[in-house]
Amino acid sequence: MLYELVEKLDKKFGFDRARAHCDVPCGIYDPILPQIAALTVVRMIDLMAAFDKDHAEKDLAYFNTMTRYIAVKEEHAEKVKQDVRVIWGDYFKAQHIEQYPELQALTHEIMSLGSKCRQTVDREVALKLVDKLNRFAEIFWATKNVAVKRAKSPYAPALELVYPNL
Amino acid sequence: MIKFLRVTGRSLEPDFQEGDFVVVSKIPLLIRPACRGDVVAFHKPPYGLLIKRVEYLTHAGALFVLGTHTASMDSLQFGPIRRQDVLGKVIGHIKKPRRE
Repeated sequence: MLYELVEKLDKKFGFDRARAHCDVPCGIYDPILPQIAALTVVRMIDLMAAFDKDHAEKDLAYFNTMTRYIAVKEEHAEKVKQDVRVIWGDYFKAQHIEQYPELQALTHEIMSLGSKCRQTVDREVALKLVDKLNRFAEIFWATKNVAVKRAKSPYAPALELVYPNL
Repeated sequence: MIKFLRVTGRSLEPDFQEGDFVVVSKIPLLIRPACRGDVVAFHKPPYGLLIKRVEYLTHAGALFVLGTHTASMDSLQFGPIRRQDVLGKVIGHIKKPRRE
């Protein structure tokens, strides 16, 4: 009751915020981290497919290597989600969302694709994740008035990424 | 002399949570210096307006403040707070209804 009343006053008068924050507001954000993590997911799917094709015998060594590929895929798909959540939550502000209304749905789609990449070995899903992250990066750099370029990553799986054109 | 503030962040959980409101005033500090356990709001560039709990007063009268969360940004990182930077002591706390 009292809280609702004070909340209404806050909406009307806009009280100052007292920060009880834990992290240092360092201001260092870069979507290249989730972009590279998404490339790693594609790479792991490729390695898994090639390894499975080349190893008819499913012995302990096979499962050991395959498990390691899976673990890395899991880790990097989750890293995509974590890094995008930080940029979404800490960097993007209301005015950015107003300027780029697609951000909301785009971020949600990245979250869903990240989960899908953990659940499956569908290369198309991983490629879509890279594609959505490129769009996320384009918007991110646009909010900083930094021009971007598209170039193939100089390592496998050699997919096109959006980079800041510095 | 009295101000309403809205708490953001989690460094004072579980006592103060995101969305809580606090009433701060400088008057109590004019009567008696801050002491261990008091919660104060203060300005700390470049972080802005912060809220933390007083751990102790230094010999020079500055406030060494801490959060309750292990990852709190507080005097362990930025040192004691000068008295003139203190906006006031928390004298009222309106908690956001907690979800059980």
